[in-house]
Amino acid sequence: MDRRQVDAEFSEFAAASHSRLRSTAYLLCGDWDRASDHAQEGLIRVYVAWPRLVRRGGELAYARKAVVSAFLDASRKRSSTERPREPDIELASGEDVAAQVSDRAALMAALARLPERQRACVVLRYFEDLDVRETAAALRCSEGTVKSQSSRALASLRSMFESASRDELAVIGERNLPW
Amino acid sequence: MNDLKQLLRDTVADAPPGHLDLASIVATGHRRVRARRTTAFGGVALAVAGVVVAASLVGSVGGDRAEPASTPPRPDAPTMRLADAKRAVEGRDYDVLASYTNENLNRDNGQYLDGVTDDGLILFRNGPRDGTGWQQHYALMDPATGEKDWLPDLKGVGQDQLWPVELGADQLVLVSLENGLRGAMRAHVFDRTDQEWRTLTWPGLPKTDFPRAQLGPDHRLYVRIPATQGEPPAGGWPTASDGEADDADAAGDTFHLWSVSLTESSDVRDEQLSVGDVAFTASSMMWTDRTNGDAGSVHVRGLASGDEHSFDPHAGERCNLLGFGATDDRVVMSEYCGTYDDGVRDDRVQILTADGAQVVTLQGSGLDGVLPSGSEVVNASVYAGDDDSRSGTYVYDLSSDRFLRISDGLSQWGLGGPTGDARQVMWHTPVNHRNGATQWVGRLRD
Repeated sequence: MDRRQVDAEFSEFAAASHSRLRSTAYLLCGDWDRASDHAQEGLIRVYVAWPRLVRRGGELAYARKAVVSAFLDASRKRSSTERPREPDIELASGEDVAAQVSDRAALMAALARLPERQRACVVLRYFEDLDVRETAAALRCSEGTVKSQSSRALASLRSMFESASRDELAVIGERNLPW
Repeated sequence: MNDLKQLLRDTVADAPPGHLDLASIVATGHRRVRARRTTAFGGVALAVAGVVVAASLVGSVGGDRAEPASTPPRPDAPTMRLADAKRAVEGRDYDVLASYTNENLNRDNGQYLDGVTDDGLILFRNGPRDGTGWQQHYALMDPATGEKDWLPDLKGVGQDQLWPVELGADQLVLVSLENGLRGAMRAHVFDRTDQEWRTLTWPGLPKTDFPRAQLGPDHRLYVRIPATQGEPPAGGWPTASDGEADDADAAGDTFHLWSVSLTESSDVRDEQLSVGDVAFTASSMMWTDRTNGDAGSVHVRGLASGDEHSFDPHAGERCNLLGFGATDDRVVMSEYCGTYDDGVRDDRVQILTADGAQVVTLQGSGLDGVLPSGSEVVNASVYAGDDDSRSGTYVYDLSSDRFLRISDGLSQWGLGGPTGDARQVMWHTPVNHRNGATQWVGRLRD
């Protein structure tokens, strides 16, 4: 395939998917600047693999996987002394501060406390709407691992919402738990 | 009760503007591809060295014979090569109507000429970047004076990519995709009299991964929705001599054809037709069975009579259809037909009559031709490498069968858009050590 055609097709894909990939990365890392870096790194990996992706129609799945990998790689490289930025809802006190702590902030704080792979399970399952098999493929782990990680993650999130006196956290529309 | 899914969506709903640094992504991607290929070629070189030793041993006994060089086959049609193009002279063969230069598109987003309206104004776009509030802004520019009439802001698109499908004297129509990939297609219609934008979506239209839309002569928007996708052969595509996957002779993709009204969101029609590529002329609709692979047959339907006929375009055995266009009496097919020794590509622009007779096939490595809707000038760009003297823009005038070279060099950016006049053409050339580009709008003389 012609290099310029590859670049044109990739550019269209990147323009269309960048916002979504950046959002996914933000939910994983909790920081928009870092999310931009992960999305950019993910798209570079997509570019390298592009000639073998386009015919299989797997470009978005690959891009998602690449962004998650970029996030996990960066997490591994970070110094063990560095702590991810997180709004600490337990430290919030006083009426004004309490009023400003939204459910969304509570969610980001709770996500930040999950181990990286559990967080990735939650984001892929409930933001990207991937099923267990697709999530396992994205994380390069077994379906059983996805089930157990998702289960632990949801239990932790619910518990953190409860202790922060937020309304109960649920996955509306799912009659049966996915594991 | 908090719904986890909704909370996740809400959390990213108010994302701060983010800049997609496409140039940096592509440049870094290029470097990584090159690094990977260097490693791969190192392995190949070792393997070849082993073969040479073995061959010389065999040769010492029974002699050996080199395989003939593999070169692109000659098309089964009258053929013109890039060297057959005559140099176009400004003032004799064409006139330049406007130009615009972005000195450094690697550093920042720029301003672009996105097409020409039917009444001769240029759609000018200020790309989203620092200083624009990360929004894109459109203007209609008078090519004679450069004066710009800025349009009201188009709300709700942010940095989404938009593609012009109609640049009329009464209205402008651009399409985009809602929610990124697999989203609903939407049309942004600018009424030039009322100076207002309105955005249309069609709940009955299936979602798609890319807005493949074009305006029909009945002023409906015809949209191709993906149906089937050709599978790669078992074991993947073979690697060509340039290290790229060579997907020549692919199975091709098909689409369902739908049409929608540009005034009424509920007016959606399944055209009950499987197509590859589609092109409209004033009096006919033409389509192929498949695209991005073996094209199959070309079908022609008269819009007034409903009469149909089909023909085999006799594209080469290994040819993938990449682009398709038509006038009332010509069909233009852009094709990739494989890569041969030394990375020489068999790229073609096949031109036929509307009955399937071969008119001419342009053939050259790196050739990429397109016939914009409503145009009678095939715009054929050639990228053969930064230092290759063949790189540049060539045009084939369907009305006079002239093959002209209009520029040297091609910028690394995908620039341009539809033109309102059948003889207008847009091209771009590199500037500032290929960091930037000059866009040109010209008109071919009769």
